[in-house]
Amino acid sequence: LTLIESFQLKDTAQRIDMMKEAGKLYDKEHTFEAKAVEDAIRLIQVQAQLEKEYGELFTGLSISSTVYKLITINQSTRANKVRSDFKMPDKRFWWIKLRALVEIRDWEGVAAF
Amino acid sequence: TGAHLGHTSLNIDSLRDLARKELVNVLDSDHGVENIYHLQPGPLETEHRNLIYICRPQVNYMKYIADTIHRHVNDHAGTYRYSLFFVPRRTAVCEKVLEDEGVFGDITMGEYHLDLIPLEDDLLSLEWDSTFKELYLDRDTTSIYYAAKALMRLQGIYGWFPRILGKGDYSKALCDMMLRMRREMAVDDLDVSQTTQMSQNIDSLIIIDRSVDLVTPLCTQLTYEGLIDEIFHIKNSFVEVDASLVSTAPAPTTSGSVSGSGSVSGSGTVPGKKKKVSLNGGDKLFSELRDLNFAVVGGLLNKVAKRINADYEERHNAKTMPQIRQFISKMGGLAAEHQSLRLHTSLAEQIMDYTMTDDFNKILEVQQNVVAGIATNKEPDYIEEMINKQVPLVQVLRLLCLYSLVNNGLKPKQYEFFSREILEVYGYEHIQTLENLRRLGMFTKQVTTKNSYNLVRRSLSLIVDEVNEHAPNDISYVYSGYAPLSVRLVQCVVYRGKDGKQAGSGGKGPGLPGGNGWKGFEEVLRMLPGRTFDEKQRVDDGQTIHSKRSNGQPPISLVFFLGGCTFTEVSATRFLASQDRGQRDFVICTTQILNGSTLIDSLVQKVPDPRTTA
Repeated sequence: LTLIESFQLKDTAQRIDMMKEAGKLYDKEHTFEAKAVEDAIRLIQVQAQLEKEYGELFTGLSISSTVYKLITINQSTRANKVRSDFKMPDKRFWWIKLRALVEIRDWEGVAAF
Repeated sequence: TGAHLGHTSLNIDSLRDLARKELVNVLDSDHGVENIYHLQPGPLETEHRNLIYICRPQVNYMKYIADTIHRHVNDHAGTYRYSLFFVPRRTAVCEKVLEDEGVFGDITMGEYHLDLIPLEDDLLSLEWDSTFKELYLDRDTTSIYYAAKALMRLQGIYGWFPRILGKGDYSKALCDMMLRMRREMAVDDLDVSQTTQMSQNIDSLIIIDRSVDLVTPLCTQLTYEGLIDEIFHIKNSFVEVDASLVSTAPAPTTSGSVSGSGSVSGSGTVPGKKKKVSLNGGDKLFSELRDLNFAVVGGLLNKVAKRINADYEERHNAKTMPQIRQFISKMGGLAAEHQSLRLHTSLAEQIMDYTMTDDFNKILEVQQNVVAGIATNKEPDYIEEMINKQVPLVQVLRLLCLYSLVNNGLKPKQYEFFSREILEVYGYEHIQTLENLRRLGMFTKQVTTKNSYNLVRRSLSLIVDEVNEHAPNDISYVYSGYAPLSVRLVQCVVYRGKDGKQAGSGGKGPGLPGGNGWKGFEEVLRMLPGRTFDEKQRVDDGQTIHSKRSNGQPPISLVFFLGGCTFTEVSATRFLASQDRGQRDFVICTTQILNGSTLIDSLVQKVPDPRTTA
């Protein structure tokens, strides 16, 4: 499957192209999958952007892990942005935030809940 | 306790002998093996000139071998001799790879027909780990061929099985293949096919397809051996534990799996603090404990500890010379027992730590509610919470699939919600994972509200409310209340109870031969996927099914779990044998031993981390 191959490519641009290709293969029956592929592409783009900004690796992470990592490097505003970009449910976001804050021992942040 | 363990009247030794003899034949050409290496990528450091490879016919192994040969050719050409033996059979693909690599001509090739490996006296396994995925996802039926070959060999040793019953499409395929092989044999080799008698001991073969019962492996196993497998993963009857658990003396176990089978073998210490310990019936204490519900293991260990202590104390009573001598002769055995006690106590402690955790109990509770069909809204909520906590994906999927299977799929909205959650939390590569699970029907959208699981559960009384873990009276003890469907089916066919409830209490008499087979269960079986069949095999001289056995031993049913089985199912089957005062023995065959995690794991899409491959 093209999709799986695409995940193995290192180069971001190539990956996106490949995924677009893969996305087209899903017909009307698979609107969910097609949508997921779109999201995946969007995520890679966002991650590429983040990598440029912070000089840290983001590709390969899931949305949750991306948000988690952003909080641990003290970029909560960016984290919030990613969260709203992908319409992450509140419940999950708070879980991530809590765990991330504990990880960096930001007890003030935890107390501020 | 323990009287029912292991000792089936089927003489597995003849199978062991055959395997051993063949290994000798294979190795014979080389007069003694000096070193055994594990096949792995990278250069092979050895000064030996004669290399024998024994491995599974897998493409990556071929690559390793070719790689080694290439390296050698560069160094000092032509001084090496290579032999390669495929377990259990060579395949065209592997030969092709070797050809492409240009080393085909350098290797002497052969086959080592080690197919069914006796893990125990009553448990044979092909140890073909990927069967489940190959068979049900890739629809690759190679393993059916291996299984059929292996069963034909068994028939060659023990005689034709008079009756073959089964459930599931692949089971049917296996049965058909065996019957066809027999016909082919009659054409090719008339002598053999005619001299092979009907089997004296084995009166039936029951094939259960894994796809018939996917619920069982997804439940957490609650027997001692099952829990060890869940937590530490038993592989080829070895388990890796922390070295501190075992003292330096080697474990006093000698019997067990046929060793020396190349990629399968090797029990040496592993680098680091891990140590491999073999777990099998040779360890007396373990064979007592393995099939018990974990709830009673602690008490029993305590009792054994006291007894051993008392035995040690006996030395004070030894006054006279003969008494002392008697005690000394007992010492060896005592020390061995002590050793195994120490191992199992520490294992049990670790399991205890694990089973005491909130997560474990919460998961278990959800599981029990799900299989019991007690519908609440809490279960999906809990699964959502697990995802939010980012617990390992395999655990999440295990529970989610169980929920989906039992409820005949999720409501469309729920289905999309969980799919989305999983993709966003665990990564988009799992589009494929979800697709895999959907194709297997393990994680699906609900199409009808008709729930076949509930009907099956009721008619086969899979849920037993009152479970006595200390003195079990039904196979449901293994999951503390849930009777594994697969084994319940075996019970149905062997003891012809009129309905599920009576099957639970065990029928009268040894059942089978002319028996009803599936009769009385047609309705239940219709609700389960796959075909049902019941074939009789005859010998040409008109001799029909034996009703009396010449040697007075109980008849044996061979139970073949196609696509793998769990330790718990093994335990449950042993329990069946222990009932009815040993009127029937069971020998279990399977393609591999699995548990929910290994099953799901084989379906999870793996993506090489771009950072490590970079």
